[in-house]
Amino acid sequence: MTAAPMTVTPTTPTAKSVLSVKDLNVVFSGFKALRGVNLEVYDGEILTIIGANGAGKSTLLDAIVGKSPVASGHVYYGSKDITNKQPHKIARLGIGRKFQNPNVYNELTVFDNILLSLKGSHGIFESMLAKLTKAKKGKIFDVLERTSLLDQAFEEVSSLSHGQKQWVEIAMVLAQDPSVVLLDEPTAGMTAEETYATGEIIKSIAKADYSIVVIEHDMEFVKQIAERIVVLHQGEVLAEGSVQEIQSNPKVIEVYLGRETINAAA
Amino acid sequence: MSNVVMGYKQSTFPKKLAAISGIALLIFIILPFVIGSFQLSLLSKLLLFGTLAVTLDLVWGFTGILSFAHGIFFTLGGYASAYYLKLNLSAENNTYGGELPDFMVWNGLEVLPWFIAPLKYFPVAFLAVIGVPALFAYITGSFIFRSKVSGVYITIITLALSSALTTFFISQQAYTGGTNGITDVSKLSVFGVNIPPIGIYFLILAYTVFVLALSLWLTQSNFGLILRSINENENRIAFLGYDVAQYKIFIWTLSAALAGMAGGLFVPLNRFISPVYLAVAFGTQVVIWVAIGGRGTLIGPLAAAMILGQVQNSAEKVTQDWQLVVGILLLVVVLFIPNGLMSLLPKQLRFSNLSKPKPLPGAAASAPVVPPEMASEPKPEAAQRSS
Repeated sequence: MTAAPMTVTPTTPTAKSVLSVKDLNVVFSGFKALRGVNLEVYDGEILTIIGANGAGKSTLLDAIVGKSPVASGHVYYGSKDITNKQPHKIARLGIGRKFQNPNVYNELTVFDNILLSLKGSHGIFESMLAKLTKAKKGKIFDVLERTSLLDQAFEEVSSLSHGQKQWVEIAMVLAQDPSVVLLDEPTAGMTAEETYATGEIIKSIAKADYSIVVIEHDMEFVKQIAERIVVLHQGEVLAEGSVQEIQSNPKVIEVYLGRETINAAA
Repeated sequence: MSNVVMGYKQSTFPKKLAAISGIALLIFIILPFVIGSFQLSLLSKLLLFGTLAVTLDLVWGFTGILSFAHGIFFTLGGYASAYYLKLNLSAENNTYGGELPDFMVWNGLEVLPWFIAPLKYFPVAFLAVIGVPALFAYITGSFIFRSKVSGVYITIITLALSSALTTFFISQQAYTGGTNGITDVSKLSVFGVNIPPIGIYFLILAYTVFVLALSLWLTQSNFGLILRSINENENRIAFLGYDVAQYKIFIWTLSAALAGMAGGLFVPLNRFISPVYLAVAFGTQVVIWVAIGGRGTLIGPLAAAMILGQVQNSAEKVTQDWQLVVGILLLVVVLFIPNGLMSLLPKQLRFSNLSKPKPLPGAAASAPVVPPEMASEPKPEAAQRSS
């Protein structure tokens, strides 16, 4: 199935692209995980990427943050080409990533997890001499407040619930002060209540000048947060548009939503 | 935890612990005046081995790099120190009367090699004691950590390095003294006055305190937090903007420099150095000290090295098979106390109670605890999600 590259339109005509992916191909020992993907992320928007297992959603994020090598094509952050740069360099530029399974430091306290993630002071000697200033503390507690984790600040992460661990990682990403936030299934393993609360957290941080890319399975959650949706299928962009457009797109219904409906019925 | 908003302190050095450390230091200051000269020399040696164990704890206990190479760094520092002391041997004490060290004469050398000659001078030798192991660590570390070798493969490389260097030092007999190493060195002296054994002891004690204090400060700073994070999950921390390889190379090199200085102090005490300390067997001993004492505890490895050294010394008198005793002890610790002897102490008495290393590889992993919220109402498709 070779769909023509989708032309992606901004939500508003004046919106500025902060991250763009051009003709991206990622190959894992012969298997083409991504085939010619084109994508724009606009300033201040929430972009939701959906797709079945193996569609290449996580691979796309991996390629953006420098985790998976790009075979051909480019990733631009603003006007800067960040294709295949080292992960720590991409992170310092201002792209924060939350992984699918909560990728947090279980043996440290919530506070230390956030302290570690704060923007700046990534050098060795800086880290030795770093003082815990009022400004840093303020920033940490601010991030914890936004992710409803204030009461758990000094608990070890291993003692938190699965949903709270997901929030810790969202808080870590926010502490990086990125301009682009990539969230890979932020509600995986959460209860319905936690999922809803997560949606509200994401919407509130989107207002605060972040561009957010969310990978999601759960259509209820997608409806709660989505502004613009891109559908990936077998490593290619299958469709793009608003929630209504995607739900009524025959190709999407055939390959993705149809299956979900069948699953739900079963 | 009592005061959430105000009370967060980065470095916690509880008063009780400060008191205990003070008393321990006092004991070590008084001890040399009440024990015999043989015991004094043994105690000095044990302090150095303990310090060596602390340097390994920095890379293994805190950063998660299991290294059998710390004997190498110790020995490289030791050789630099031994050349200095050998070249400063007065002519009448030298077997052949001249300036050339005896082992070089036996092996047919007529001139002092240019790369050994400068070690006659104290500042050069001092720099070499720290710098040669550090440079060796920096070069090997850059290759190992930039190439993204990880886990057990790093350990295998350190074993290979240890074997290769042992063979190399034995084969270069004219320059290294071969299997015997460098023996019959002069005493360490200041302005022509020999430093007595008790002076050497206090030099070593001061160095031990310095290494402990430096390690404690480093591991309690943000830097230590980053090391522990590399230990727990090095892939994550790169995405927070940290250059993991740079951190690993730094701590590897620093640890090697500190181990080298321990080796440098070992020679004036022991009066010889040989490839025995380069060999895998010695590197393994250092690993055992850290494992038994408790990784990531600093004081644990120090204490374990000193206690095991004493056990070895006593057991040697009774049986040739003292290594069996150490082996059994290691088995017991790994099986029943995977976090080492320090983990038996109450938490507030541990030297660095912020750190909690992972269980030893192979030790039974604790079952993940399912939080109650999850068990009650999970989303239907949550469990098998993976893409």
